[in-house]
Amino acid sequence: MASVKLTNVKKIYDNNVVAVHDFNLDIKDKEFVVFVGPSGCGKSTTLRMVAGLEEISDGTVEIDGEVVNDLQPKDRNIAMVFQNYALYPHMTVYDNIAFSLRLKKMPEDVIYSRVTNAAEILGITQYLMRKPRALSGGQRQRVAIGRAMVRDSKVFLMDEPLSNLDAKLRNQMRAEIILLRQKLDTTFIYVTHDQTEAMTLGDRIVIMKDGYIMQVGTPTEVFEMPHNLFVAEFIGAPKMNILKTNLVKEGGKYFVTPCGAKIEVTGEKNNLLAQKGVESGEIVLGVRPEHIVLANENDPGAIACTLEVNEMMGSELHLHVFSEDGTRWIVRVPTIDLTPEQREGLVNGAKLFITFEGKVMHFFDPETEKNLIYGE
Amino acid sequence: MNTNETTASMKRHMGMKAASRISNTIIHIILVLISIVWLIPFICIVIQSFRVEPTSMSRYLLNHPSIQFNWGFDNYVNLWKSDFPRWYLNTFIIAIVVAVVQTIIVLCMSYTLSRFRFKMRKPMMQFMLILGMFPGMLAMIILYQVLKDIGLAGTNAIPGLILVYCASSGMGYYVSKGFFDTIPKSLDEAARVDGATRAQVLFKIILPLAKPIVIYTVLTAFMGPWGDFVFAKYVSGVTPSAYNVAVGLQSWLATDTMTNNYYTMFCAGGVVVAIPVVILFMCLQRYYVEGVTGGAVKG
Repeated sequence: MASVKLTNVKKIYDNNVVAVHDFNLDIKDKEFVVFVGPSGCGKSTTLRMVAGLEEISDGTVEIDGEVVNDLQPKDRNIAMVFQNYALYPHMTVYDNIAFSLRLKKMPEDVIYSRVTNAAEILGITQYLMRKPRALSGGQRQRVAIGRAMVRDSKVFLMDEPLSNLDAKLRNQMRAEIILLRQKLDTTFIYVTHDQTEAMTLGDRIVIMKDGYIMQVGTPTEVFEMPHNLFVAEFIGAPKMNILKTNLVKEGGKYFVTPCGAKIEVTGEKNNLLAQKGVESGEIVLGVRPEHIVLANENDPGAIACTLEVNEMMGSELHLHVFSEDGTRWIVRVPTIDLTPEQREGLVNGAKLFITFEGKVMHFFDPETEKNLIYGE
Repeated sequence: MNTNETTASMKRHMGMKAASRISNTIIHIILVLISIVWLIPFICIVIQSFRVEPTSMSRYLLNHPSIQFNWGFDNYVNLWKSDFPRWYLNTFIIAIVVAVVQTIIVLCMSYTLSRFRFKMRKPMMQFMLILGMFPGMLAMIILYQVLKDIGLAGTNAIPGLILVYCASSGMGYYVSKGFFDTIPKSLDEAARVDGATRAQVLFKIILPLAKPIVIYTVLTAFMGPWGDFVFAKYVSGVTPSAYNVAVGLQSWLATDTMTNNYYTMFCAGGVVVAIPVVILFMCLQRYYVEGVTGGAVKG
């Protein structure tokens, strides 16, 4: 259990490629922080610098107040779970889990009780005498977690631990990691490229792109108040609808004019725009698919669209539509809200109308891509 | 499927079977012929070694009316009364020491080049690769001079030879480095996070996984000095007590008078030299093949 502090951490490779720029982050004791971003954004590199597997080019990493830049991984008292499990193929599951304890020269009976205890928590007791190759992917991942668990380390690092599992198992293991976290009650740093994992697991999420931190915040913050276009598009599935349009200020009220419609900005957003002193002009508008509703032709702010693809997801439909000016939209419609007639009408090429409320909109500067309200 | 179709497919099937049987037969005949050609010299040596007569005046394989040809174990018995046990022991000591030292050097070298990244890594590997292309004989004269100056030639040829064989052994890193490269790096990293030092990673994780390549390295390191003639010949010079088996056996054939007296004993010596190698390969051939081909396809 420990805090982790990264100050101006940089990673520059030998060929002068900068993988991480000036990374600053304070991770509190027992916090669960998730690094998320597309591949190549530097999230794994940052984690590996904390682990000591990658040299730190500049800046400092502190664990529990101690600068660990020059410490070997073995001296940092961390535990790590790797994406490809990294189980020792020539050892049984028991020996795999016991490996770190044996290196510490612990008495065999202590090792035995720790290993069996971890195996019980993870439900792998019956596999302890097997070799890793005789296990399924999910079981291997449990062994890898067990190996990290028995160490009583200060920080628990996980590098995309679920990305080698199939979708169903991934959901199950995700829930188990939440339970595990409650049991271990230690500091976690978790790397993933999957925004769902980030949202469901993290106390705080660090969203990265090209070596830069784009935003740090709780799942609610990054979802509802994205600082920039990248975060807005990255978080949420399907991703946010983005289009260039105009913001019009008329007598203290703001309007947007997407695809010829005119929709008033309502709620707090209107006040916040006014506070920031935003003037009329071209903006990038973002609306999440779940905030768009099907409308009637005569409703105010209705946008005429043609249905291109209708994805049946079970409890909801993902409608891919395009409006008359060619803008593409994705609309999430809960199936429960639709009458059978409406559902039958949603065939490819069908004409329909969409609209959205004024309070759900996100406004971005077309040049800096920053959020006009929350952007720093 | 109606009856006609069934018959047709059966015929087709049988046709294929017959064709594969014919090609199999041809392949086997060719292989048998190659084996015969390949085995004849060995059979000749084995047959000669069981002759009682010391001379080489024979038709090699079969008895000829004009030549005496009697069977017996005399050669093998006489072998142990000659200098041969001394040479055998010399060779054995050299080969064992070289096998151990060279294996350690090669494996450490390979692990370093496979896992560590340092500035001169690439240039060093290229340099050694190019250096390795020059035949070792080129350095023969100067090596002898150096060994003589430090007193490791002639009577002290055994430590001298060990030094020669071990000195450049790091250059044989290529095959084992290739094998180590196929072992995922994340295993090293996991072990290091688990608290292992680099040395512990090598000995507890990498080497147990690289068993075939360890055995391959031991075998090649053992075989080099076991069969070496040229270096052993000039380092030992004219000191029979420092000969290895190859030099010693050759000395029996070196003069005309000796040819008449030692030829069949020479053959017996050759058979005795081959025995440990044959046993080693029979026991370890599974690993040997895996070591050479390992890394080509990841299992």
